[in-house]
Amino acid sequence: MKIHKRYISAFVALMLSVPVFAQVPAAAPKQSKPVLLKGATLHIGNGQVVENAAVGFDKGKITYAGPQSGANLSGYEVVDVTGQHIYPGLIHPNSNLGLNEIESVRATIDWREVGDLNPHVRSVIAYNTDSDIIPTIRTNGVLMTQVTPVGGTIAGSSSVVQLDAWNWEDAIVKADEGIHLNWPNMLIATGNSAYDARLGRMREQRETALTELATLFRDAAVYKAGKHDNENLKLAATAGLFDGSKKLYIHTNFGKEIIESVNFAKKHGVKEIVVVGARDAVSVADFLKANNVAVIYSGVHALPSRAEEDVDMPYKTPYLLHKAGVQFALDYDLSIHGIRNLPFIAGTAAAYGLDKEQALASVSLNTAKILGIDKQAGSVEVGKDATIVVSSGDLLDMRTNNVTHAFIQGRKIDLNNKQKYLYEKFDNKYKQEKKAPASATTSAGN
Amino acid sequence: MKKILTIAACLALGAGHVMAQETFPRNGVYDERSGLVALTNATIHTDYKTTISNATLLIRNGKVEAVGTGVKVPAGAVTIDAKGKHIYPGLVDMFTGYGMPEVKSERGGWGSPPQMESKKQGAYSWNQAIKPETNAVELFKVDKKQAEEMRKLGFGTVLAVHRDGIARGTATLVTLADNKRENEVVVLDKAAGALSFDKGSSTQDYPNSLMGSIALLRQTYLDAQWNTQNPSREQNISLTAFTAANKYPQIFEVDSKLDILRADKVGDEFGKQYIIKGGGDEYQMIKEIKASNAPIILSLNFPDAYNVEDPFDARRVPLEAMKHWEMAPANAALLNKAGVTIAFTASDLKDKKDFLPNLRKAIQYGLSEEEALKALTATPAKLLNADSKVGSLNKGMLANFIVTSGNLFAADNIILENWVQGSQYKISEVPSDYRGVYTLKMPQQPDRKLMISGTAERPELKVIGKDTVSGKITFNGNLVTLSFNKDKKSKESIRLSGWLQDKNLQGEGQLPDASTVKWTATFSEAMSQKAKSDSTKVAKAPQLGNIIYPFRAYGQNELPKQETILIKNATVWTNEKEGKLENADVLIKNGKIAKVGKNLTENGAKIVDGTGKHVTPGIIDEHSHIALNGVNEGTQSVTAEVRMADVVNSDDINIYRQLAGGVTTSQLLHGSANPIGGQSAIIKLRWGKSPEELMVENADGFIKFALGENVKQSNRNNANIRFPQSRMGVEQVFVDAFQRAKEYEQSWKTYNSLSKREKSKTPAPRRDLELDALVEILNDKRFITCHSYVQSEINMLMQVADEMGFKVNTFTHILEGYKVADKMKERGIGGSTFSDWWAYKMEVKDAIPQNAGLMNQLGVVTAINSDDAEMARRLNQEAAKSVKYAGVSEEDALKMVTLNPAKLLHLDDRMGSIKAGKDADVVLWNDNPLSIYAKPLKTFVDGIAYYDLERDEQMREELEKERMRLIQAMLNAKTGGARTQAPAMRRASVVHCEDVEHNEEESYFAH
Repeated sequence: MKIHKRYISAFVALMLSVPVFAQVPAAAPKQSKPVLLKGATLHIGNGQVVENAAVGFDKGKITYAGPQSGANLSGYEVVDVTGQHIYPGLIHPNSNLGLNEIESVRATIDWREVGDLNPHVRSVIAYNTDSDIIPTIRTNGVLMTQVTPVGGTIAGSSSVVQLDAWNWEDAIVKADEGIHLNWPNMLIATGNSAYDARLGRMREQRETALTELATLFRDAAVYKAGKHDNENLKLAATAGLFDGSKKLYIHTNFGKEIIESVNFAKKHGVKEIVVVGARDAVSVADFLKANNVAVIYSGVHALPSRAEEDVDMPYKTPYLLHKAGVQFALDYDLSIHGIRNLPFIAGTAAAYGLDKEQALASVSLNTAKILGIDKQAGSVEVGKDATIVVSSGDLLDMRTNNVTHAFIQGRKIDLNNKQKYLYEKFDNKYKQEKKAPASATTSAGN
Repeated sequence: MKKILTIAACLALGAGHVMAQETFPRNGVYDERSGLVALTNATIHTDYKTTISNATLLIRNGKVEAVGTGVKVPAGAVTIDAKGKHIYPGLVDMFTGYGMPEVKSERGGWGSPPQMESKKQGAYSWNQAIKPETNAVELFKVDKKQAEEMRKLGFGTVLAVHRDGIARGTATLVTLADNKRENEVVVLDKAAGALSFDKGSSTQDYPNSLMGSIALLRQTYLDAQWNTQNPSREQNISLTAFTAANKYPQIFEVDSKLDILRADKVGDEFGKQYIIKGGGDEYQMIKEIKASNAPIILSLNFPDAYNVEDPFDARRVPLEAMKHWEMAPANAALLNKAGVTIAFTASDLKDKKDFLPNLRKAIQYGLSEEEALKALTATPAKLLNADSKVGSLNKGMLANFIVTSGNLFAADNIILENWVQGSQYKISEVPSDYRGVYTLKMPQQPDRKLMISGTAERPELKVIGKDTVSGKITFNGNLVTLSFNKDKKSKESIRLSGWLQDKNLQGEGQLPDASTVKWTATFSEAMSQKAKSDSTKVAKAPQLGNIIYPFRAYGQNELPKQETILIKNATVWTNEKEGKLENADVLIKNGKIAKVGKNLTENGAKIVDGTGKHVTPGIIDEHSHIALNGVNEGTQSVTAEVRMADVVNSDDINIYRQLAGGVTTSQLLHGSANPIGGQSAIIKLRWGKSPEELMVENADGFIKFALGENVKQSNRNNANIRFPQSRMGVEQVFVDAFQRAKEYEQSWKTYNSLSKREKSKTPAPRRDLELDALVEILNDKRFITCHSYVQSEINMLMQVADEMGFKVNTFTHILEGYKVADKMKERGIGGSTFSDWWAYKMEVKDAIPQNAGLMNQLGVVTAINSDDAEMARRLNQEAAKSVKYAGVSEEDALKMVTLNPAKLLHLDDRMGSIKAGKDADVVLWNDNPLSIYAKPLKTFVDGIAYYDLERDEQMREELEKERMRLIQAMLNAKTGGARTQAPAMRRASVVHCEDVEHNEEESYFAH
C-alpha cells in the first residue's frame, strides 16, 4: 500500500508539469500471456473455499482453479498472492451506473424515457464507459453490472456490462437480457378525505395501466408466430418474455403486490420472472419458492419498512430468504456512487446470519444465475471468464477490503480513479508545503 | 342507541323576547314578556355536585330567579310539571367554530413562487399568520343549523373561536339561542384569546415549520411588549390587539401531546398559563402534561377500529394507532385521575351524534359522572370567567338548562328540552310505550293475539292466530296503524287503523276481500321487565393494554434503570493515551464510568462477561436529523431565531434503531435551506424519555449555517426570487447579518449602560430573537456548524468570519475539506464529513473518500457523520472506511465517531472516551467495532442499558403478542357492529438536510 502510494505520488508529481486529464484509466489490453495467481485463499463463489490455492487463466478464460499443489506452472506468469484472497468479480444487478454522472444535473441523466410502455428502449446504448464513477466502483471489487432503465410501467430493456471498456459495444456481456416492469402501486383508502377523494380516479388509472399491460403481453405473446405488414417495436421487444429468451424483472416491494404481479406475469405466459426490490419478500417466501421466482433484494442497508419490524429486518432478510430456499441476489439501490459498497451489503448479510460464502454468492454466482450469465461469469471455475478480484483481506468487510489486483476477462485492469488522483494531488501539495513552509502560509492562493 | 323523535322548533313559551333589544325600533307594538316559567317537581342538578329532589326552577327574563324545594311559584307564572324528569345546567363547549366564517387557504401548490411579504393591506403585522386583530364577536353570526345541532347534544353556551392563524385574536362566548339577534346571545364579547401553531389561511411563506411558528409567536410577544413601551415607534394594529387579547384567558389549540408541552413552554416564557385544546393522546405522557399545569380541552373524537381482516393490510397499522384505538376513550379518566383539569368539546367530531355515546364511553372507561358533568359545565365556565353566568343553575344566572328523562349519562336517557336564555327548545319526546300483549277481535274472524315488542320507539308486531305471522305496527301520537298477513301461506294482508282508548286499541280496517271491519285489541299484559332491560344493556369497561414509553413499537411500560455494571475481560478502546486495552475491565456506576483497568471488582455489581468482545465509547453523530418534527424553516435567508430544541420528537423510532447501532448522542441540526439556519439541539438517546429529558445537560449552544447549492436554491424549480441565488450573494447575507448583529448589540450596550433614571426615559431597543442568536455567536456563546462543500465558499466563510470577528466551529459535510485542511487547521476549525458520498450533485463531484483521512492527517479535528437515519446506525463502519481509503489507524478511525465529534460539540470533558469520571455512554460489541461483522450487544447511556440485544428479542415477541391481542379486539369490535376504518400507514419520512420543506406527508401507497 505504502509503496503503491509513493509510486502514484511520484507519477502525479511528474505529470503535474503537463496538463493531466487522464482521470478515467484506459481500458486494459487483451490478455497477452497466461497468468497464474498462487498462494491465496480462493473463494469460488459457489460456497466453496480452497486454502492455499492457485488460479490460472489464459486468453481471458480460467484454465485452473484449485489447490496450488495441483497447478501446472509451466508457461504461466506466476503472481504470488500468498496470504491474500481471490474472489470472482462481483456483479451488481439493477443499477443506473453509466446512465448518469451527476444526479442533480439533468443533462447528465439518461435513465428515463417518456411514456408508460417502453420495452423497446435499450439502456445499454447510453452506458457511458467514460464516467468518472465507474473506476471507483471497480476499486472495491465490483466488475460487472446490469445497466437498468427506470420510469413508467415498462421502463425498457437492461443489459449486463463489464466495467472496463472503451465503449458500450465492448462492454456488453449480455445485451437486452430483460425487461423491467414497475408494478403499479396498489392503492388503499386511508380515511384521509383529501386523499380518498382522489382514490377513485387513481384506481381507474391503475386499472387502465394494468389493462394496457395485459394487452401488450397478450399481443406480444403471439407476435412472433404471425406475419406482419408493419414491424411493431414494442411487441417485438416484448416477445422474448414468452419463449424465455428475455427475463421479466418486476420491481415491487409490498407482499400483496409481489403475489399479484407474479401471478399476472405467469398468467400471461412469461417464462422467467425476477422480483426486484422485494422489501417484503420474506413474508411471501413460500410463494416465491413454490413459483420458482428469483429475487433481487434491494436495500440491505435500509431502515425497516415499519416501526414494528425487527430493527435488523433489512440486514437479516438475505439470511431469511436463504433459509426459506428462495433464490436471491443483492443490489445496492441507494445511490450510484454507493455501488462500490456492494461487498459490504453482502458483509452485513453475513453479520446477520448468512454464511460468508453464501453472502459472497449473493453478489456473484447467484447474481450471474439470475441474470443468465452464469455459464461465463459469477464464479472462479475453469472455462469461465477470468473476471477475478484479489484482495489482501476479507473483501466483504470494509475493514479489510483492499483490492490489489483485478482482472476482467483476463485483462489486468487499472485500479486508479479520479478520487485517488485528487487525494494524491492534495496530499502532495501539503507535503510540498511542509518541505517549504514559507510558501505554505500565503493567503487566498486559490 | 336510541332513535328518538326530535323536534326542531323553538316553542315561544314565555321567553320570546326577554332580553329586549332596547336600542332597536319596532315595526308594530312592543311585545315584551317576562317569560316567567316554573318547572316543578323536578330532580334539579343545580351544579355538577348538587342535586335537589322534588324541586322547582323558576325563571324570569331569561335568567334563573329561584331554584330549590321551597320556591313559591308566583302568580302569572307558566307552570310546567316536570315530575320524574331531571334538570341540568346547559352544557358549555369552550372550543367551537359556531357562527364563524369558514377558513379558506389560498396557498399556492408545490412549486408556486415564494411569497415573502404579507398580502394583508393595512397597518397590521408583517406576517399574515399573526392576526390578533380578529375579534370573533365581530364575525359572529347566529347560525340556526349549527345551533340546533349543538342544542340536541345538550349545549346551551359555546365559545366561538375563529380558528385561523397563529395569533387568532379574541373568542366570544355566546348562547345557542337562535331566535334572537347576535346582540342578545353574546354572553361575553371577548371571553378568551386564541392561539395555535398553525398558520391557517396565511399564504405567506414564513413560517413553514413548527419551529418557525414557535419563533414567530415568541417574537410577537416581544414585539407587542416593545410596541406598548414605545407607542410612537410604529403604528401596528396587530401588536396593539395582541396586547389587548392577552388580558383574557388564553386558549391554545394543538393536536398532539408534544405540542402541548411546546405551547406550555412558550407560555412559561411569557408568564402565561394556557388552556390547551389537545389532540386526545395526552394519556401517553401524563406526567409531563400534568406538570404543565395546563387545563386541557378534550374532544370526544375516538378513532374507529381498523379493518384488520387481511393480515397483509393489518401490518400497515402502526402499534400506536392500534393502542390508541383502545386507549382513547380512557384519556379523560386518566387525566382526571392524575389531577389535570379537563373540559370537553364536541368540535372535532365528524358526526356530532357521537358526542353523548362517546361521553358515556369515557365514563364507562373510568371517568365519574360528576367529573364528566363538571367538565361540561363548571370547568369551562370557570376557565372563561363566566361562572357567574353559566355552568350552574343559581339565582341570577342565565336560564340555560336541559330537561332530561333521567340521568343525563344513562344510555337510555333522552334529552327532552334544551332551554337557552329562557327559550324552550323541544328536543325530543318520550315515545309512549305500548308494548305488551293484546287480544284482537274482529267479526267473522278467529281471535288473535297481538304481541307488541321491540323498543318503545320502534315496536315490532307478531300476530298469533292459527299461524304465527309477523306484521307491521306504527304509532303516531295516539293513532295506530297495523298490517299483517292472513296466515303463513297467504300473501293477502289485513290492514287495520285505529286509536288508543285507555290501554286498549280499537278502530276500523279492511280485510283482503275488501270488506271493512271494526276491531278491538284488548290489553292483557305488559312486556316483561327482562325483555325491556335487554334493550339497554350496559357495557363493562374493557381491559386495557399497558401504556408504554414512548407510545409506539419498542416502547416499554417500565424504562430500564441505572445499574452498577462491571464489564470483565474485554478489549477496551479507551480513546485515551492508554489506547486499546486487552483483557480489561470497565466499571459503570451512578451513570458514570467509575474505573477502567484490569482485575477490577465491585460489590453488588452486575457482571457482564466481555471475553472476546469490545468496549467503546458511545457513538456521537455530529450531524443528525432524527427525532424532529420538522427540519427546515426554509423560507428566509436568515432564520437564526428557530430552535430545533422546540421540535424534538421523543417518539421517533429511529432513536431506538440508532441505539441498536451504538449511537448515544446526536446533534439535531437544522436543514440547509438557508445561509443562517436554526439553533441545534444536542440529545442523548434516552429512549422513552420526554424531549426535555433527552437534551444533553448544560451543552453549549450551536447553530447551523449553510453554503452552496441548497442555499442558492439551484436545484429547485420556480424558487428564483429569494436572495441569494448565487455564491456571491451568500457572502453578502453573512456580512449583512453580522453587521446588523453588531449594531444591535451596540444599541443594547448603550441602553444598558444608562442610569436608572435615563433608562426610564429612554425606550429599550426592540429585542430580536434572530439577532440575539447572532450576538451569541459574536460573543463565543453559540457555535457554528456550517454545511459546506466546495473550497471557494469555505474560504469565503473563513474570511468573513475573520473580518466580522466570529469563529466557525465545524464545517459539516465539508467534502472538499481536503483542499482547505491547512486553513481549517490554522483557525482551529473542525471537519465533520461523510465517509464516501459523492457525485449526487454538482458541488460534490470532487468529493473523495480520503477526505476524512487527509483532514485528520493535517491535524483537523475530524468526525464522520451520518445526516441519515439509516447510516447513523452503521457509523462505526463508515469510520472504518477511513482505514480502507486513507490508511488511518483503527483507533483514530474510531475517534472520528466518538471522541472527535465530542470535541466538536464541546462535550469531550464528559463523553467520547472510556475514562473514569466520564458519562457511562458505552457500547459493548461482539467484534472489532470497525468490522462489518460487529454489532452492539448493549448500548448504555448514563449507565442505563437503553439497548440490549437480548431484551430486544424479548420485546419483539411481546410486541407481536400485543398486536395480536389488539387485532383480535378489533375483529371482535367489527363483528359486534362497530364502525371500522381502512388500515392506513403513516410513513414518517426520513429527513436529510437536503430536504427543503418540512415534509411529513403520509405515504398512501401500499408499501
